[in-house]
Parts: sequence; structure tokens; C-alpha cells
Amino acid sequence: MAIITISRGSYSKGKEVAEKTAQRLGYRCLSRDVILEASGSYHIPEIKLVKAIHDAPSVLDRLSGGKRAYIAYYQSALARLVQKDNIVYHGLAGHLLLKGVPHVIKVRIIADLADRVRQEMQQEGVSEQDARSLILKDDEERRKWTLSLYGADPWDSALYDFVIHIQRFTVSNAIDFVCEAAGLEQFRTTRESQQKMDDLALAGQVKAALAMLSADVAVTSEYGNVLVFVGSDDRLARKLRDKIKTLIAGIEGINNIEVHSRTAVPPDAI
Amino acid sequence: MPVIIISSDAYRTGREIAESAAAVLEYRFVGREILGTAAEKYGISEAQLLQALDRSPSFLRRSSKLRKRCMAYIQEITLCELLKDEVVCQGLAAHLYVLGVSHVLRVRILSDAERESGQSAAQRGTSLGTVKKLLDREKTAQRRWSMDAFSSDETDPSHYDLVISLSQIDSNEAVKIIRETVGYPRFKPMTYSINCMKDLALSSRVRAVLWEKFPGARVRADRGTVIIETAALKRDKEKRVKAIKEMAGEIPGVDYVEVHVTNHLFRQAGGALR
Repeated sequence: MAIITISRGSYSKGKEVAEKTAQRLGYRCLSRDVILEASGSYHIPEIKLVKAIHDAPSVLDRLSGGKRAYIAYYQSALARLVQKDNIVYHGLAGHLLLKGVPHVIKVRIIADLADRVRQEMQQEGVSEQDARSLILKDDEERRKWTLSLYGADPWDSALYDFVIHIQRFTVSNAIDFVCEAAGLEQFRTTRESQQKMDDLALAGQVKAALAMLSADVAVTSEYGNVLVFVGSDDRLARKLRDKIKTLIAGIEGINNIEVHSRTAVPPDAI
Repeated sequence: MPVIIISSDAYRTGREIAESAAAVLEYRFVGREILGTAAEKYGISEAQLLQALDRSPSFLRRSSKLRKRCMAYIQEITLCELLKDEVVCQGLAAHLYVLGVSHVLRVRILSDAERESGQSAAQRGTSLGTVKKLLDREKTAQRRWSMDAFSSDETDPSHYDLVISLSQIDSNEAVKIIRETVGYPRFKPMTYSINCMKDLALSSRVRAVLWEKFPGARVRADRGTVIIETAALKRDKEKRVKAIKEMAGEIPGVDYVEVHVTNHLFRQAGGALR
């Protein structure tokens, strides 16, 4: 019983590996469902959400924090969907959005650039040069996205439990690796790890609710005790304290909520 | 039978895994012990060879000739060992120069940074923060080293077939994964892959022999034919070709030597100005 996140570049067979792994393990496979869930729950047009989470933040986005709000909605939707366990998720930054949960297996699938270029040429009917530049542009966009929002490079192997170079294996070999990892003791869902997952989902919901006022906050939850950190913005802290009850109305599972300013943000905050 | 090359961000961790994998598979372990043989063969101290593998190049001595010379010798001796099959190799930077051989499984092991820092802090009696900074610096130095020695970033996952992080997976499981992976049919040696390995070994042997006199020579081998590229002044061309052919022709396994000379533009320009 585990949650498997598969990070992939275009044409790396990651989607196929994810779908077939889910099939073999009898897990649910998630990808686009997260966008639909976020779009439905937070009443944002799907197209706007897709654009926001695909493109790297512009300078204006970084100043206004607009993109962060969309990410908060996406993270909240993802955490709620995977909370039920036995999930294979392939898509945006699962390894970063679900950080700190012990029963999440983080896998990255990579492929040779030459092979990806060939596939892009076949699929899109473009020249080799165009195909190469399209793939490199897409990779760069992904890299900028994670770097600007999480300060992490998606190409850094240390972010994952496994990196599989698909060129040297078959899809079936890659599925074997992932399924074997899913059977390991340390990735089994325990009461404590499920609690961490529940806390992450709750923190995600609170952050998404607060994002309507400001996305520039960090949130943690421990057994339903939620802490909101607002950096050194005392005005925002006051505003949040006044409106927090209204903003979080309808979120279940909160025992207590506090807003802190000028306090160091814990590393597990989202 | 296949060859396994293990690289790691922490030498000790990599060695542990490599030794265990060799024991489980009943393969031979090839590690830094072979440096003694290289030292004896090429008349260089073992300490210098070790330094060439460990030391990050300083800013001013980035392409120190000695390090490159040492690496040429290490490469030759390692490839000679890898020809024997059923080998687990670690600590000799083989992942950076054994390329294009299909029966070689290349695995990168990432140590658990948290555990490693904790152990190191306890051993050294320093704070966790200091140790983390130190380890980060060591990792950056390793990366710089691979860029300098082979123009290749060893942290790039595309250089490996598999990267396993030990932050949640323990060493025994990593060894089990390696054992199972090496059993896949595509890691079985074939005539073509064996020939590729032989070509690599032969070219490294020729390069090591030529190093003393022609350190800039680039060597490629193709089933006994050795192609050497070198730069020379026009007037030295014939002399150089002859010397290279003589030296390379005496090496066992070399059937034919082809030397391609390009003009030494800078020296030529210098000569013209004189």
C-alpha cells in the first residue's frame, strides 16, 4: 500500500509505465484528474489552471504571487486525491508537492534526447531541428518552473528514490522496479505515515483557502493543529487573524489554527 | 557475463554496495587496490594516482598534466580488468570512460545525506550544519573534478542506467535491485559489445604508452586498427608520424596504425612571428 509518483519528461514512456504499474498493482492512476478536481473545487477555468501550472512564473507572477495561488489549489486537490492511498500519480512535481510523506515512492523516468527527438518528429511531423528545440524548450520550462517555485532542479537525482533510464530497459522492466519498491516495508502505509498524509492534505486545503487573500503564506499541520506563517508582514497577519475563521469555514479536521508572523518557517511547511 | 560499474556521491557507501553486490553475484570486485599495479607498471607513485582520483582541480591547475597522465594509466589498468567479465567495479571513475558497451550496467548510488551528515558530525564532534556544508562542498568538488577530467558531469542521471537513493531504500535492497537488473537479457555480453570493450581497452593502452612523448594524442581503436590524431608543425609531421607508428605498432593487439596530423596552429603562428 503506497503512493507512487512518477516524474517524466515528454516521450520518456513515463505515462505508459505509470498506467501499467497502476494496472498491475490494482492502484488508481491519476494525472489529469488533479486538474479537474482543482478546477471544480476552486472554480477556476481548467485552461487557466493548466497554463498556470505548465509555464514558468514570469517576473510579474513572482511579484504578484498569482501563480502560487494556482499551485496551492493544485497541491490541495492532489493531496486530497492521494490521501486515500494506493495511487500512481504521473504529472506535475508530485515528488515536491507530496514531500515529507514516508509512503510516497518517488520515481523519475528519463530517456535519451535523440530518441525523444525522433518521437516528436514522428508525432508532430516537424524537422529534427524543430523537434529538438521544442523538447529542449519544454524541458527548460519545467526546470525553470521547479527552480522558481521550489528552488529544486527536477534533474537532480537526489529528489527521487529511483531514476530509471528507460532506453536501457523495457517498460516491463521499469514496472518491475516500481512494483518491487511498492512492496518494500519502508514504503508501506503506517498509521503515522497516513497521519502525515492527512496533515499534508489539511495544510493544503488551508493554504488554498488562504490563497484567496494571499498565497504568500506557509502552512503546517500536526494532528489537525494548523500553524500559518506570514513572514514579516504584520499587516497581512492582522488581516488573516480577522478573516481566518470565515476563510477556513467548511474545512473539516482542524482542531486549532494560529497565525504567526516574524517566526522561522519550519522546513516541512507548504 | 556482465560488468557492473558503481558510482556514488560518497566513496564509502559506493564501495560497501559494490562489495556486497560482488559477493552476492560471485563476481570479482575491482576497486582502488589495482592502483598498486598501475603504479608499478608505469613507474608512478600510488599516492599520485589516488590523488588524481580524489583531488578536485584547483582553479589555477585545472588541467594539470600530471592528473591527466595518472588518469590515462588508471583508465588503461581498469579497462584491462573489465575485459575479464563478471566484475563489479567501483572507485575508478569507470562510469566516465566506459561508454557505449551494452553489457555494462551503470548504477549510481546516492547516499542518505541526513544519515551521512549525522554520522560525520558525531565522528568529528562538529555541528550538523558545518558537516552539511562540508559535504556539499565535497560534492561540488567531485562534480568539478568529473567536468575537468572527462568534460562530463557525473551527477547527470542520463549517464547511468539506474540511480538508487539510499534515503529510504537500504543497502541490502539496493544490492538486490542490482542483482536482479544485471540478470536482464540486454546486459548479456554479445560479440559486438565484447569487441567494443576490447577497442576501449586497446585505445587506452596505446594512449597510456604514447602519453610520455605525445600527451595530446587522441586515440581510437577499431578491431586492431588504431587511429591516432595529433597536432604537429608542418616540418615535424613526418618525424612525429614515424615515431607514433613505431611506438604504437609494438603494443600487443595493434595490427595497423593510422596517424592523422593536424597543423599546430598556435606554434606555427608563433614560429612565423619569430
